[in-house]
This record gives sequence, structure tokens and C-alpha cells, in this order.
Amino acid sequence: MRLPRTRTVLGATVAFGSAALAWEAFARSGSLPPAITPPVEAVVAAVARMIGDGTLFVHVGYTLARIAAGMGLAAVVGVPLGMVMGRARPVERFVLPLVSVLSPIPSLAWVPLFILWFGLGNTASIALVFYAALFPLVLNTWTGVCAVNRLWIRAAESMGANRGAVFRHVVLPGALPFVIAGLRQAFARGWIAVVGGEMIAATRWGLGWVIFDSKEFLNTDVMLGSLAVIGLLGLAVERLVFAALERRTVERWGLMRGAAA
Amino acid sequence: MLGVMPARLFPGVDRVVATFGRLIVSGVLPAHALGTLARLAVGFALGAVVGVVLGLLMGRSRWAEDVLLPLVSVGNPIPGLAYAPLFVIWFGLGNLPAVLLVGFAAAFPVAVNTWTGVRAVKAIWIRAAIAMGARERQIFRKVVLPGALPAVMTGLRLGLARAWRVLVAVEMLTSVPLGLGWLIFGAREFLATDVMLAGIAVIGLVGLGLEKLVFEPLERLTVVRWGMLAR
Repeated sequence: MRLPRTRTVLGATVAFGSAALAWEAFARSGSLPPAITPPVEAVVAAVARMIGDGTLFVHVGYTLARIAAGMGLAAVVGVPLGMVMGRARPVERFVLPLVSVLSPIPSLAWVPLFILWFGLGNTASIALVFYAALFPLVLNTWTGVCAVNRLWIRAAESMGANRGAVFRHVVLPGALPFVIAGLRQAFARGWIAVVGGEMIAATRWGLGWVIFDSKEFLNTDVMLGSLAVIGLLGLAVERLVFAALERRTVERWGLMRGAAA
Repeated sequence: MLGVMPARLFPGVDRVVATFGRLIVSGVLPAHALGTLARLAVGFALGAVVGVVLGLLMGRSRWAEDVLLPLVSVGNPIPGLAYAPLFVIWFGLGNLPAVLLVGFAAAFPVAVNTWTGVRAVKAIWIRAAIAMGARERQIFRKVVLPGALPAVMTGLRLGLARAWRVLVAVEMLTSVPLGLGWLIFGAREFLATDVMLAGIAVIGLVGLGLEKLVFEPLERLTVVRWGMLAR
């Protein structure tokens, strides 16, 4: 991504312009009914309509609230668990097999079961995000704690730091880059889980639910519009929230070189 | 077990294991697993080919990079599953939308990683090859391709993981004839929680197996053996 800025902008314009033109030509060619392939302006109009009557914001709000709740729970459980795993051998030996068996199961495989257990609605979606986000957080935190330089710990100990101080001032900041990487992965997975979960388990609001509900009425313009919102929102959270978090913490403390990635 | 929760919803481990055994013996689980794996293979192959070709193009030609990179970077973070209802409208129910969606979802990480890999090939290797009189084709075959391979492998791995996740979910939505996702979704109608948990167990095992039996040996045979990656 080291291209000169104007080149990038020009390239992006050409790319999106030609993609939109190709779609427009395809949509207007009449080879498929316009209900199935809405032209670009219909999609834009659909988004504008949803912004106008405010429903878009409600959907976005619900989706974001669900992912925030699920990720918050996952962070509260997963990060301490990963820390304890990294510091205490018996815990590691007990938890790691469980995590490595559960982690490759796609969260969405649990949707039907979660619906039976938690009913339709918010609880099932939040539980799903929790499940999806938990394992990247646990595994990354654990790796992070294990990867803390032994020398730093010994140096702190020889300077007379007790266990609590070593943990607070050495292990915690040392593991933080990994924890943040885990949060990123957890968000990517949770974002998929929340959209998928809403399609199947949500009842009235949410971006996944809109797409699924619009299918029933063949509102392809709303579907494509919501899809674009999902993509932009995902990109924005990744770029704005996590990149900023990284800049504020680990880069500032000099634990990771910025802009290298 | 203790009777706090209804056993219908939370079956005991013994019931799940018994169901698991029964379904294996009767051939139901293997049939569904095979259906899912076949779909995964076709879809992933599709996505891998498209992704690698796009990535190589983007890595070798600046023009292609300028045009394709914005599209790929915007498409990459959209959950593949979000397209599922659209794919159903466009391609109907059944195998076709499921396979296409799997390929579509898998292509993005493959393309991004291939692109990174091609760009990470050391310029000095290429110059050395040129100095030794290699032609454009030879450079590509003998230098760029092996040099980019570790990153391509990473991309394939990520792509497969993503394909697997999407596939299980999309099977629930497109009502394919045989598939693990469909098995779980269908079992819900009958409150057969033991069947659902058995299906989830198989999904976990297959996912683990893909990683351990397919990718680790493949990596050992290629990039590790060529000394491109220390293990």
C-alpha cells in the first residue's frame, strides 16, 4: 500500500467506476429481470431511503450493540483466561485441548442449537459473537504471555519486583500487541458471526436481518445497499478503532514499530 | 443430567456419543460429511485458482494492481455469508450458490496473500537471475513463483478456513441435498439436539483434520523442503 496517493485515488476511481459501469450495463441489458439485478442508482436510492427514514441507523445500532456485547463478554472471559494459561502450567494443560478442539468449529454451526437454547433474538446473536470472538482472544493472549521476553521478567525480578508488579508492568504490556491482534481477529470473526446470526436468529433489527428479510420481498436494492454498509462499517471499525487503539498503546510504548505492517 | 435443564435441549454426553455412533454406522454422518467435503473441494479449488491468478496479476503488473487492489480490499472484509441471500436469488437453491459462494469467499485472502508474496520476492534474486541470462518466463517460473509460495500457502490456508466457515453456514440457507450444515439445521426442526451436537463434533473434527492432514504436510513437502520457511 505504498503507492503514491494520487495514483491510488486514480486507481480506485477507475476500479469502482468501471465496476459500477459494468454492473450498470449488465443490469440494464435486460438479460436478467431488474428486480434481481438492480442498477446502481436504485441501490444508492435504497440506502438513501433507509438513511432518510432512520431505519438504517437502527439496524446499524443493533448490529454494533450485539457485536460489542459479545466481544465485551469474550474479552472479559478470554483475556484473563489466556493470561492465566500463559502463567500457570496446569491451567494451560487443562484448557488448551478444549480450545483447540472447539476453535475450528465455525461459530455459525452453533446457530440452530443456540436458537433452541437461547431462543430467537438478541441472546442467541450475542452468544454467537461471544463464541466466535473467544478463541482468537484466548489463543492470542496465551501466545502473547508466552512470548514475553524472559530477560525482561528476570530483569524486573532482580530489581526487586514482586509477582504482581512483574505481571502489571512487564507481562501485561509485553503481551498487549498480541492481545490487540487477538481483538482484531475476534472482530473479524465476530463480524461474520453477527451478520450470519442475525440472518437466522434475529427477530426485527440488524444488518444481517435486513438482508435476509429483503430476500423475501425480492428487494435486491436494499440487499446490495446493506451489503455495502456492512463492508464499509467493517472496514471503518478495523481502520479507525483498532488502528487507533494500536497507535495509542503499543506503538506509543515502543513495543511495536508503527506503519511497518 | 441433574434435571435442572430439560434433557431434550441439553442431551447428556452418553446420548450424544451413542447418536454419533449410530449415525456413523448407519452411514448418515459419512454421507453428509462427504457432501460437504465435495462442495468444499470444488468451491475452494475455484476460489484458489481465481485468487492466485488475481494475486499474481496484481503483483506483476502495476496497472492491474491499481485497478484490482481497491476492489479486493473493499470486498475482503465483507463477510462472505452476507452475500448468501443474494446468491440464492441469483443462482437458485442447492449446490450452485453454495459452491460459488465458497469460492467467492475463499478467493479474497488467497489474492491478497499472493499479491503480498509476489511483492516480497527479493529484487536481488530477480536481478541475479537476469544477470545469469534468464528470460521473463524463466524468472517467473523459477524465481517469482517459489519466492511467493510461502505467502501463497498462507493465503490458501486462510482461504480454506474461510471457505469452511462459510460453507457450513451457507448449507443452512441454500438447502443443499446433503451436508453437515443442513443436517444440523434440519435436526433442529425435530429438536434432535443429540444429532445436532454430533454434527457439530464432525464439523470440528473435519476442520481440525483439514489443517493437520492437508496443509501441514503440503507445507512440509514444498516450502519447508525448499528452505523457504524454517520449521
